[in-house]
Amino acid sequence: MELFTSFHISGSALTAEKLRVDTVASNLANMQTTRTAAGGPYRRKTVVFAERLARVRQAPPSFLGRGVRVAAVVEDPNPPRLEYDPEHPDADEEGFVAYPNIDLAKEMTDLITASRSYEANTTVINTAKSLYLKALEIGRG
Amino acid sequence: MLWDDPVTKGLAKSLDVAALRQKVVAQNIANLNTPGYKRSYVVFSEELARAREKLSLRLTHPRHIPAGEIAGEPQVKVERSTSRRSDGNNVDLDQEMLDLVTNQLHYNMLAQKISERYATWRYIINEGRG
Repeated sequence: MELFTSFHISGSALTAEKLRVDTVASNLANMQTTRTAAGGPYRRKTVVFAERLARVRQAPPSFLGRGVRVAAVVEDPNPPRLEYDPEHPDADEEGFVAYPNIDLAKEMTDLITASRSYEANTTVINTAKSLYLKALEIGRG
Repeated sequence: MLWDDPVTKGLAKSLDVAALRQKVVAQNIANLNTPGYKRSYVVFSEELARAREKLSLRLTHPRHIPAGEIAGEPQVKVERSTSRRSDGNNVDLDQEMLDLVTNQLHYNMLAQKISERYATWRYIINEGRG
């Protein structure tokens, strides 16, 4: 079994959770964005996680878990929020402006979950570190 | 041979299992937000008990304490029957953190016991001069 698998596992989770925080940041920053490269208003983005497994089968006790990976960043398919503002340059013929459909409360809870998960994984890394240090002490003094 | 007596071997094996358990808990916590993920757990104490039942040394005196080598292998199992969220994930963070801490204490205890055995041998080799 690889020596530092535990670090790799929790490290992958840190990367994934960090991306989730980045996505929330992007969603919050673009709450009022009506123009994007793809055309139309900004669409809320969410990350989808998937379990990461080792490719090679090992001798028992085999544990194939290798952390988590980001499977996709998906865009919210829900229709944009329409607001009446005929003065806005991006208003349609009827005077409605399409704004991103972003729910502030949802983003904030997402942010908190991501940051708490990040913390949990750092705790695991610290524990793994203390285990390795303890193993180094075997036979000393 | 002195170095590979059943007790030291057993301690080393248990240390391996504790290291495996650390990885499994790390994996569960890493997948806290993965839709459909099912938690894994390590089964070893049952294996240990079974191994102990199977392997008993022949006793020549009724007051001898039976001893056996630890032959069981730890098993990683997946808890598929439960779900905690609508996305099918069943990782309980509190439970995992608790497992993490318990396992850490267990690991420390085992490492200390192994150290103590080496210290004893060193003491013997040095003819009791520390």
